[in-house]
Amino acid sequence: MNPRKDLITIDALNDEDIRTILDSTSAMKDIFTRSVKKVPALKGKSVLTLFYEPSTRTRSSFEVAAHRLSADVTTFTVSTSSVVKGESVHDTIDTLMSMKMDYIIVRHKHSGIPAVIARHCKASVINAGDGSHAHPSQAFLDAFTIKEKYGDVAGRRVVIIGDILHSRVARSTSTILRRLGAEVAYMGPGPLVPPQQHTGIPRFTNWDQIFEWKPDVIYLLRVQNERIDSPFFPAADYHAAFGVTEERLRRIDDLDMGIMHPGPVNRGVEICDAAMDYRNCLINNQVENGIAARMSILYHLTPKTQSND
Amino acid sequence: MTDTYIINATWAITNERFDLRVGHTEEPEGISLSGIPLPGVTAIAPAGEMNVPAGARTIDASGKMLLPALFDLHASINIDGHSKRESIYRAGQAANHGGVWGMLVMPSRGFCFDNAATLDSFYEAAGERSFATMIPAGCITEGMQGEQQAPYNTLAARGITILSDGGKMPDNLLMLYRAMKYAAEMNLTFAIRGDVPCLTRNTYAHPSTTSYNLGLHGTPACAEEIGIETLIRLAADTGARLHIQTVSTAEGVAIIRRAKQNGMANLTAEVALHHLLYTHEDIGDYDTTFKTVPPLRDQKDCDALLEGLKDGTIDCIVSDHTPCLPFAKKQDFVSAPQGMVALDTFLPAIYTHLIKPGKLSWADVVRTCCTTPAAIATPYDREEDTPIASPLLLFTPDSQYEVTADSLSCGTLNNPQLGKTLSGTVTLPIN
Repeated sequence: MNPRKDLITIDALNDEDIRTILDSTSAMKDIFTRSVKKVPALKGKSVLTLFYEPSTRTRSSFEVAAHRLSADVTTFTVSTSSVVKGESVHDTIDTLMSMKMDYIIVRHKHSGIPAVIARHCKASVINAGDGSHAHPSQAFLDAFTIKEKYGDVAGRRVVIIGDILHSRVARSTSTILRRLGAEVAYMGPGPLVPPQQHTGIPRFTNWDQIFEWKPDVIYLLRVQNERIDSPFFPAADYHAAFGVTEERLRRIDDLDMGIMHPGPVNRGVEICDAAMDYRNCLINNQVENGIAARMSILYHLTPKTQSND
Repeated sequence: MTDTYIINATWAITNERFDLRVGHTEEPEGISLSGIPLPGVTAIAPAGEMNVPAGARTIDASGKMLLPALFDLHASINIDGHSKRESIYRAGQAANHGGVWGMLVMPSRGFCFDNAATLDSFYEAAGERSFATMIPAGCITEGMQGEQQAPYNTLAARGITILSDGGKMPDNLLMLYRAMKYAAEMNLTFAIRGDVPCLTRNTYAHPSTTSYNLGLHGTPACAEEIGIETLIRLAADTGARLHIQTVSTAEGVAIIRRAKQNGMANLTAEVALHHLLYTHEDIGDYDTTFKTVPPLRDQKDCDALLEGLKDGTIDCIVSDHTPCLPFAKKQDFVSAPQGMVALDTFLPAIYTHLIKPGKLSWADVVRTCCTTPAAIATPYDREEDTPIASPLLLFTPDSQYEVTADSLSCGTLNNPQLGKTLSGTVTLPIN
């Protein structure tokens, strides 16, 4: 793989990049079974997590990944008050540059912020989720999870269910899966699923169509109330209309489909309790693979902090 | 002052060549070409037939086109962090570079035209500092807050003929209804952009592949269309004159066309140049230069807007000039301010992208950029108590130039033509 400074979107990667990162995710995962779960790959490098949005899972996943590669990790706490309008990202970038960080892992509620940071600093910037735009590390861990379970991503069918409009996960994961030869469809409440002519992805409106399509994986998205400024749909309907109910779980079981979810899960909304214990529920695999995928991403990026220019 | 002779000029509209005598002492009425009055021209003859006295001041306009200078009905001139005088000077200079002799200045944060004192100081500064004629548009509401009507009588006494809250559609339709009823009797024109603010809040791009791929909330076209329909109904009911600003959708054009066909008088509409030239695809990877309100839409909308211009549904092309500091535009797409600057390159961009490819004729451009907008704004010299007539300009279509940061005089760089080559250079004023 050619040296690449940043990971902002899946679209920016070529096929070789995707393959390389996925392949070494597997090697990284092998490290977890050792008694010493640490390799010196990034020894002496500094990693900064810069999360403008609250996040426990992604942030700790990145931190564990960086620790396992022996990097030094700093957490930059951005209080909600400093994100108020008028604060310039450029000032933050200048501060970060002065800290001489090698890797910056950034999450922001505005689409496009990581790209702005990446353009103006030498550190490798990893997008850990920007607005409704992209979440590439999630895409890698999802693709890896499917590959691990089914042997190959190509030829698999995945339906992504829920709030597609606000979901960076839907965008990035659908992109990587389609690049790897899978078929993807969307389903969710009308106002939350953009039309096929904008997404290029078939759009279902109910579970009957899904069962007819026979996907291998049901990928559930979280209903992101914090991202929704005013009601998009009658919330009380969600579980009955779009969630995995116990009745639907029986059909999912009959058809041997897998269930995935980027977490955190809203039990009783997207998914019933029983589905969390379903034999093909891959949610915990996703969490474990998340660390391996993020190690692989950190390992393959090349910061420009070494050059003297 | 002696007369100047312009010889061998090509009249843009008909391609005929003429010699003209331009005098300053007398302005006989009745001299016009293609029905367009030529201020300052005291005699006219086919090329080569004018008797030019020896030693007279002549301008050889061979290879140049003669046309009335342009009037821009929609410009915001405030540059954040710069003085008002600097903003005025920059915009005036940029306008002349782009072939624009006069403009309607939208109220903005720096130029809040809701009181007599602000208007007086603006007139004074514009008179001293501006190369171009600047006509302010008064605020619809105090402080452009959308609540309390501005003092229209006071504003009208200071020469205001057009009211606008900088394009913003007020939330409060009752306030607007009453404002229109009140102002209709003073013959004031309301210039408003069709919008339903609650539908377009927190939206940044046309709902499209671009908005999906970049994760930007889409601005529904229906918000603009409902807004236009609402404004038309309000204006029809109250008898107010209405000018619809920056129409951007095909259906918006259709609504205005229907209203005009149904005999609605006192209705005019404009399109911003960028809505004719660009689509949402130009946003590419979050290029904030292309962040506009309303957003850049589909090719079919561009085509419908062009069609609307040609059949007279849309009355004029405007610059929607909006200076944004480079620092502000370097932010992420959501945080960056909206708008482009267009005055510096106005006529060359129109020529390069619309006239040269045959999308519009010179006659269309003269109608939609010169005569009609000036007629809507009715520029008036308050000291001389006379209407101000449009001057002439010379345009050299064969010359090309690259738009560089140095060639932009408007004070900011958010011009999508930056780095591109444009055809045509402007000479304005001719003397």
